[in-house]
Amino acid sequence: MAIPDTAAVPEPFPIFKLAHRFLLYDTTTITYIRAKYNIAGVLIGGLPQAPQQNVFLGVPLELMPEEARLLCEKGVAYVVDDAKAHKQGFMGRGLGDEERRAFQASLRKQGLAAAGQAEKKTEDRKKAALKKKVESDDWNDIPEDMLRPTSRASNKRKGKGAKSKEEEETPVETNGESDGKVTADRSQQDDEDLLFAPATNGVPLNPTLSRAASNTSIAGGGPEPFAVTPTTSYPPLAATPPPSTFSSTELPDVPPSYPLYKHMHAKDYFLAPGLRFGCQYMAYPGDPLRFHSHFLCNGMDWDQEFDLLDLVGGGRLGTGVKKGFLIGGEVKGGSGDQDVGATSAGEGGGGNVRTFCIEWGGM
Amino acid sequence: MADADEHVIPRSGPLPEDIDLSEETQDFRFLAAISNEDAKIPKRGEKDFEPHATALQSNTLAASRQAMHNALSFQRVHQPKGYTTATYHPESNMAYAYNPKGPLFARMGQVLPGKDDPLGDDELRGNRLWLLPEEVLYLVERGTLDVRWPADDEDEDDRGLPMSVQGAYAMFIGDEESHNHALTFERYSVYSGLKRMGYTVQRAPSWDTPGPPSGSECYPPLPQRTWQPGLFNIGHWWKTWFAGIPGDLAKEHSSDQLVQPGLYRSYADIYRRLALIDYYDPMARHLPSEAETPSTDAGFRVTYHIWKPGSQTFKKSAPGIPDFRIAVVDGRATSVPTLEQLGALMDTVPYAPPKEDGQLYQKVRHGYKNVILAIVDQGVVSYLRIGDAGFGREKLYERKVRGFGGKRGGGRGGGGRGGRGRGR
Repeated sequence: MAIPDTAAVPEPFPIFKLAHRFLLYDTTTITYIRAKYNIAGVLIGGLPQAPQQNVFLGVPLELMPEEARLLCEKGVAYVVDDAKAHKQGFMGRGLGDEERRAFQASLRKQGLAAAGQAEKKTEDRKKAALKKKVESDDWNDIPEDMLRPTSRASNKRKGKGAKSKEEEETPVETNGESDGKVTADRSQQDDEDLLFAPATNGVPLNPTLSRAASNTSIAGGGPEPFAVTPTTSYPPLAATPPPSTFSSTELPDVPPSYPLYKHMHAKDYFLAPGLRFGCQYMAYPGDPLRFHSHFLCNGMDWDQEFDLLDLVGGGRLGTGVKKGFLIGGEVKGGSGDQDVGATSAGEGGGGNVRTFCIEWGGM
Repeated sequence: MADADEHVIPRSGPLPEDIDLSEETQDFRFLAAISNEDAKIPKRGEKDFEPHATALQSNTLAASRQAMHNALSFQRVHQPKGYTTATYHPESNMAYAYNPKGPLFARMGQVLPGKDDPLGDDELRGNRLWLLPEEVLYLVERGTLDVRWPADDEDEDDRGLPMSVQGAYAMFIGDEESHNHALTFERYSVYSGLKRMGYTVQRAPSWDTPGPPSGSECYPPLPQRTWQPGLFNIGHWWKTWFAGIPGDLAKEHSSDQLVQPGLYRSYADIYRRLALIDYYDPMARHLPSEAETPSTDAGFRVTYHIWKPGSQTFKKSAPGIPDFRIAVVDGRATSVPTLEQLGALMDTVPYAPPKEDGQLYQKVRHGYKNVILAIVDQGVVSYLRIGDAGFGREKLYERKVRGFGGKRGGGRGGGGRGGRGRGR
């Protein structure tokens, strides 16, 4: 089976809390909780490889308070005050010299790898572009940079001219994409760099160009390491789980609909926030990557009174979008009603939740 | 029983142009398609109804998950070319960069005057571009900017450690609480969402204060001005002015009858005499004699000014009139605004009347002032356009009947669903 070999994440893992939100930054953890705990969360960050769109988003992943609470209750996660941790670590000399050096060394290594890759790629691309140029026999199109060594001053002077060049370069690029190879390249680069991409040559850059590069350069030639912006701060920071993961004071606050959330989750549903359909949760029968949602869920107290109109409205909306409108709540007192299968199988935590599904008759 | 509005319920699925792909989790395997201009992401319907434990299904799911994992694992690397670096400034919770390069900086950041610059008025001030928290965060996330923690004597190259994306979130949103608490997750969601769509976004003056008093641009122009251009316009103005005010007709109402005998054929006159009830006229508002600080509720203030993508007139030094004004509202902590809250908000936006010769329904929908509310819940944004409609000004009985087909435009009454909201 092709279940992705998700690297196991050591548990308990940290959930980062800031401004009353619960976030995850580590890709492995994000994939892991999706596969193991049926928790998808909501991606709220931008994707650097495709920065001008809103369809696909990236890290961080925001967890609903319910999701964070559930993970904490299972004892597989704990909450870390991220703003405080960063202040201590990076501004209050909380990091030891050893850790700082290790962090910088690892960044340099990553940057070096990236530089090596980029160099290879530009080589390939230059060849492809040159080939095209020869074919089209139009030597005027060759970027100036290709013919003369770059220097900081010339870069600056060219500012305007190079920009108008961008437009001319673009068609060449799109042609290049047709062979499929460049698509991957594009994802490797910032789009503004891409516009200049054919011009980047493999010659080691003038040391004055980038102070960071020159300062961190290593002896022995080879490409200069690129600067890298890491996604997470752990490492160099290290989070330590609190001594007792079950101290209830540490648990995230959840809305009153939490029992319903927990119940549905225990039944293997993926739950997502429901604003778009005007409900509390949307319930998916499997990973939302693959499945449409089945239910629009609203949690209620057992004895809560509500308007009949809510039933009609929810039922109509649910039916209109081909989903069921589901309400549910925890049975207060007594532990009857076992027969409806309301008690969750594992964990024994679902309580006595009963759910009801409403459909608009539309007779 | 057939409901009148039954046609509202989609029978054969929504129209293609109505589908907002960002509304549902999309398959990450199509991410490559998005960077490749000619390829299209399939419009929904590619998903399955429920798990049925086949190898095909679990393989597809595994492939999607793997694609997502790969996409998320993207490393932000800065090429030496166009490499831009900035330094975090903890006291102001901003970051500064010296002479940053790249087209993005034409629309972001600010060189601060000497007295406002947190680092003081030194010789480098003119080259120092200050970036607001949301701007830094957006650029870091985009992989455009390399932000460093403040340097420290023991750092080997007098440059601080690089700030991670996580660090940027922790400081620029998490630590805002200990500064002035102005940038929230809601505001950042709206900012980054609009930036990703290509809009130019700037903080409005009412970002964290009530803002300046509303000036004359927030009120209808005084009537004298309309006299200027000559006779033709006077006639036009005359007509619109008196159509709105029953004026001397009111005298005739002194008798017992609203409609005097003898007036039988002119429906317009009859209706005009029947119009007894006052209505709200957005054109009849006047600039208060002394400037007042807006009485807006902190939950409902214009947060951002927005310029359309590719706006040619925008310059950082003189941004010009924004195309839209957006008030960001926290969907979890706020209830529906009261009339007072909405009215106070409406007072702070400029007067933007509909076209004089527009169609009646379009004029009502456009309103005489407008503002966009961005309701945010867990990173999900819905945009609502609120217009200050002048129903009373549009006289149905003066409408020219255009024979067949004239009814068309009026299909969607009730002010319409203004801006194309994302929630449906």
